Amino acid sequence: MKRRNFVALAVATVLAFPVLPAAAQETIKIGLVTALSGQSARAGEAITRGLTIAIDELNAKGGVLKGRKFELVRRDDEATPAKGVIAARELIFKEKVAVLFGGLDTPVSLAIVPIINQEKLPFMGPWAAGTPITQNGANPNFAFRVSAVDEIVNLAMLQYAQKTFNAKNCGMILVNNPWGESNEKGLLAALSAKGMKPAGIEKFEGNDVDVVPQLTRLKTAGADCLFLVGNVGPSSQVVKSLERMGWKPPIVSHWGPAGGRFTELAGPNAKDVHFIQTYSFFGKQTRVGEKVMKALMAKYPDIKGPGDVTPAVGVANAYDAMMLTAMAIEKAGSTAGPSGPSSSTTRSSLWA
Amino acid sequence: MLVTSAIISGLGLGSMYGLLALGFQVTYSVSGTVNFAQGSAMMLGAVFAYTFAVTLAWPLVPAVVLALALCALYGALVELVAVRPFAKHGSNAWLMATVALGILADNTVLFTFGKEPRGFAMPWATGSFQLLEINFSLLQVAIPVVGLALAAGLHLFSRRTRLGKAMLAVVQNADAARLMGINVPLAISASYAASTVFAGAAGIMIAPLFNVHSDMGTLFGLKAFAVAILGGMGSAWGVMLAGLMFGLTESLITALLGSAYTQILTFALVIVALALMPNGLFGRAAVKKV
Amino acid sequence: MTAGRVGPGAREWFALALFAAGFGVALAFTAVANSYYVFVMATMALTAVAGIGLNVLLGLTGQISFGHVGFYALGAYAVAILTVTAKWSFWAALPVAALVAGVTGALLALPALRVKGPYLAMVTIAFGFIVEHSAIEWRGLTGGQNGIMGIPQPSAFGLALGERGVAIAAILLAAAATIAFRQLARSRWGSAMRAVKDSEVAAESIGLDPVRVKTVAFTVSAACAGIAGAFFAPLSGFVTPSTFTFAQSILFVLAVIIGGTGSVAGPLVGAAVVVLLPEALAGLAEYRLLFFGALLLIVLWAAPDGVVGLALRLAHRRRATRLPRTGKVEISPQPAAGLKIEGLGIAFGGLRAASDVSFEALPGAVTSLIGPNGAGKTTVLNMLGGFYRPDEGSIRLGQRALHGERAWRVARAGVSRTYQTTQLFATMSVAENLAIAFPRCAVPEVEPLLAFVGYAGDIDARAADLPHVDKRLVEIARALAMRPSVLLLDEPAAGLSRADKERLSRLLRRIADAGVAVVLVEHDMPVVMGISDHVVVLDAGLKIAAGPPGAVQRDPVVRKAYLGEEQARLTAHRAAEGSLGEPLLEAGRITAGYGAEPVLNGIDLQVREREMVAVLGANGAGKSTLMRALSGLHRPVGGDVAFAGENISHLSAHQVVARGLVLVPEGRQVFSELTVLDNLRLGAFLRKRSSDTDLEAMLTRFPRLRDRLHQRAGLLSGGEQQMLAIARGLMAKPRLLLLDEPSRGLAPTVINDLFAALDRLRAEAATILLVDQMAGLALALADRAYVIESGRIVASGPASAIASDRALEKAYLGSTGGA
Repeated sequence: MKRRNFVALAVATVLAFPVLPAAAQETIKIGLVTALSGQSARAGEAITRGLTIAIDELNAKGGVLKGRKFELVRRDDEATPAKGVIAARELIFKEKVAVLFGGLDTPVSLAIVPIINQEKLPFMGPWAAGTPITQNGANPNFAFRVSAVDEIVNLAMLQYAQKTFNAKNCGMILVNNPWGESNEKGLLAALSAKGMKPAGIEKFEGNDVDVVPQLTRLKTAGADCLFLVGNVGPSSQVVKSLERMGWKPPIVSHWGPAGGRFTELAGPNAKDVHFIQTYSFFGKQTRVGEKVMKALMAKYPDIKGPGDVTPAVGVANAYDAMMLTAMAIEKAGSTAGPSGPSSSTTRSSLWA
Repeated sequence: MLVTSAIISGLGLGSMYGLLALGFQVTYSVSGTVNFAQGSAMMLGAVFAYTFAVTLAWPLVPAVVLALALCALYGALVELVAVRPFAKHGSNAWLMATVALGILADNTVLFTFGKEPRGFAMPWATGSFQLLEINFSLLQVAIPVVGLALAAGLHLFSRRTRLGKAMLAVVQNADAARLMGINVPLAISASYAASTVFAGAAGIMIAPLFNVHSDMGTLFGLKAFAVAILGGMGSAWGVMLAGLMFGLTESLITALLGSAYTQILTFALVIVALALMPNGLFGRAAVKKV
Repeated sequence: MTAGRVGPGAREWFALALFAAGFGVALAFTAVANSYYVFVMATMALTAVAGIGLNVLLGLTGQISFGHVGFYALGAYAVAILTVTAKWSFWAALPVAALVAGVTGALLALPALRVKGPYLAMVTIAFGFIVEHSAIEWRGLTGGQNGIMGIPQPSAFGLALGERGVAIAAILLAAAATIAFRQLARSRWGSAMRAVKDSEVAAESIGLDPVRVKTVAFTVSAACAGIAGAFFAPLSGFVTPSTFTFAQSILFVLAVIIGGTGSVAGPLVGAAVVVLLPEALAGLAEYRLLFFGALLLIVLWAAPDGVVGLALRLAHRRRATRLPRTGKVEISPQPAAGLKIEGLGIAFGGLRAASDVSFEALPGAVTSLIGPNGAGKTTVLNMLGGFYRPDEGSIRLGQRALHGERAWRVARAGVSRTYQTTQLFATMSVAENLAIAFPRCAVPEVEPLLAFVGYAGDIDARAADLPHVDKRLVEIARALAMRPSVLLLDEPAAGLSRADKERLSRLLRRIADAGVAVVLVEHDMPVVMGISDHVVVLDAGLKIAAGPPGAVQRDPVVRKAYLGEEQARLTAHRAAEGSLGEPLLEAGRITAGYGAEPVLNGIDLQVREREMVAVLGANGAGKSTLMRALSGLHRPVGGDVAFAGENISHLSAHQVVARGLVLVPEGRQVFSELTVLDNLRLGAFLRKRSSDTDLEAMLTRFPRLRDRLHQRAGLLSGGEQQMLAIARGLMAKPRLLLLDEPSRGLAPTVINDLFAALDRLRAEAATILLVDQMAGLALALADRAYVIESGRIVASGPASAIASDRALEKAYLGSTGGA
């Protein structure tokens, strides 16, 4: 019976997997819920890499709390909050992680934050930039971030546009997802703080090929500068569409597309895009930067230079966040359990 | 200028939808089934072509030819593993099986090709020229031409050739078709191969305008399905025309009303159109008898 | 396996116990498990509820929806907005959520009902997208991309339910939904939905309004998904557009299909697979979707009818056959009323199919409509039944005007009908087919009615599995169940043996005698002349004669148009008389069958070159199976089939054709959407260069096809289609032509034409193997004949010997065949 074998195989496969992660008790589990598949797989991988490098470094030094080592447990949220919430619960209640790291999608993080506040487990956001993730009104608040806050980035974007290009009438071209919407709010607030109004707000889908109609609207509205928010793929679609139109406005971009491949994807005009970002592996590096770069090149054969660390901010932020977390745990001086009183000490250490 | 450039964008997009939608039409008109993961087939075309032409640095022509050949193979595989086992017993589980196979294909590419989008630049194709103060890229013109040519070819094939008519006969009465000496499983398999070749061709042509990525076909596949349905699944012409109309509608709504309304209005129009013309814009009702 | 089937008690109890135990365990587990498992259980329960809703649509009504996430989202957003923004309590918001989703479902039904299959799929996909993008754009109400957070969890009896409480409520909801589905499936509405799924045409003819049934199904289904969504909101504490994507819709459909479409427990099992499988694979992180896709394919391969379907098949035990019991049954209509038709006419695209047709069908009388194929008889019947809307004229039932009414209204008014190709509800049992047709207030006298029409089979058998004659009888019984004033019958005798035809005639007479006005369209002259009180003759859409049978039979106009002069005389002499060639087809001990029971039990048969051989036998003797086995349509076949010295028993049909053995199948089977010309050209598909001279020769042989050359074959009359089918077969230049029931459903003149054409072929020394009901004509043509019974050859010999063997003829052929 061929069919029965299939069934047996399916059942065996299903049964086999949950057994695997039952590992040593002594390690401190670090949970990560992010998009690991689909469009944002690369970003999830960047966070993974940043965390892995940090954890390897920490473990090589003997871990924390007299020799306890870290272990990374990852879950794919497929960029949807419903999946993220289940994954977070699984990590908290089944895997019993000490700290939960968020991913790149703001709504997923927003959905997870109430759970971690209820369970008093520290949450660390290395990427998602939505303002309300940490400003969630909870007290005590267990959500922390090293990620940029959109509102601050947006202010910087406007300042840059004004200073560098003397922009008077800025248009927004934003990817149609929560991140884009969060930036829309931030940019509007930044503009109105200066008594300005946008030339227009246009959105595009992550998989749109041709953004010319949206850009033409902005051009017709007299935009003299564009604010671009999107990851590397979608952003390159905007740049390519601009090139087809033969329109060359200055572009100030969020750090989404920053990294090696943007030039390859967007073509020669990519150089006209200016990024506001928190970190880059290009240029002169600090001692830590050089160390991380070396570790990355040693661990991942596909990384041959700073250009291959993409998105750089994701890697760097995740690394920093992990280091901060380890310091906090060390300072709190206890094993951060899922719901023990110790986690609140880890929390206060993180605040410190 | 707003409207003119929207029209040009719309025609370009529309012909891409149409091209991909031909893939739905070609299998539906032979077997009454479709590959719901047509977007994955499109993605595979682009990924194969990229791998041969860029990663392995082959000349473009053999790279594209081999990529399309692999697409054909994938189409035959889809039919063999995800359609035939179910359609044979009259089960509609092929709907889900093709979706599952698409998930499998997308994720396999994700882990072999890479998680990063890649740029597939073809300088001769993306170069632009100006006409009436509006910039065109060569590819933007080439895609409608190729699309229309393929639609015309498909139309002539199914209406004028012995083999084409034989394929149409299969869906109407498979048993009778077998009695004419038509190898029905082969005909269906061939239609799936052709379908993925169309999708692959669409993927390769879109790639320079877009970027190559395991997820690049998802939204496209869905819109192409809408186009195939609107076109009535009956004739290649109808599908291509519906593609152009869909693309135009999308870009005109975006240009005139703003991108906030694009998806809502376009899909609402799809519902209205189908409510008014239940067999699609260019389809005709089958002979109805009791 | 359909849902509402009542099995034996033990099995029922077993299922019930399993159900109760399952839910008990689920509840107990949820009560003690940690928050993660609680959440997983709740998600599973809600997916099941949405799946059950979808099952009403997909399983019962046969309508697909890839947009159910839209209803789910509407429910969730309704609760989120009402409880967060408007500060309502959850319990007040819940019914609103169900209402919003239900009403939207009813509204979506308006466009959705006009489309079918993939077109419907697209309408629902579009709907899902509209909901998702509206949630994104309507920021003031929905919170845009970031959605609405902090949805409070409900409290019950003054106690905050918390997550665990919501989960338990969700599981109870799933249990309630399962029970509700079971009840629905067994109710009249459930039967109506399944009836619409199986055959919309037949559903209308028993007075069901498909539009209403489908609208209700859409509404119920949407409300169910809306309720599931309403619980999702407080469970997760947030709603965002990215939670309600197309992918989620696919998961709902997946839950139904994997579980088993239409089965009660299907969505429960399906939801478990769809929710638990990804959780079990969570440890794979980024490889999860990859494995999920692969495992899905494996599950679908292993259980294409769903997990529940597979389980039922493995546990299948044949139920005891229940035969109908006799009893008194009242079929006389209250009140009796006749049908008065005046000046009826209709045209299709400029072609007049009927004009100025007037006649009256009186209660208690059999009124027959006869005429050549294409005369417009079925068209008139379709107008009477409300299937077509006449362009002019009036139809009155007693005092009531029926002109232009929809079919289901006509049926409710008291006009019921049967169809040329039987339109039973194929997946429903015989008993269910009848039960649904009884008027709401009446006691369903299923068994006595079946006994009345002479059905003696299993009343729990699936309608699709019935032999032809039983399908006819059950369809007549179903029509009678409505207690109609008028019964319309479209060629009920077609395909029946002589003996069955005689029984049918007696049945129709009894029905008429009970006071029903019987309107009969029929080709079989002995049947028509034997029972009719009044005969109306149509030709080319016009009434050419009317009167009592005897007078009509003597009417010279009728004889010319329809009955033909004398029976066509088969005068042509065989060119190759007495010079038969080598054996061309030699079949030895052929066995074949469907499932366990063999239909052919070792048939030995031989056809020599230039020979014409007839195969005769009663209905169900295995004649058509033999033809399918020889031509390669039916596989596998045991024994040897040698054609021109080569064993072809393992070859598939297209390979058999390539060797020169061509079957003209039963029931014409032309390619109805292709033109006549294309049909003919396809006949010569394997002869790469079919010349125009061949085509010309064929059009000379069948001149009527020339006039219709560029029309779609589906628009041809039955006789023309049969000619086309034979011509198509001959275009292949076969070495051996197999003809399966060529005369079925044809008018006497057409049959004469047909046999004349066959006679010409015989004269040209073609090699032919013929199966036909018209035993007399077949024997007149053939050189030799075989008589088969129950899959065995019981007699063979020269045609003349078989024809003169009265005993054989009586035993296997009923009585003398021929028109």
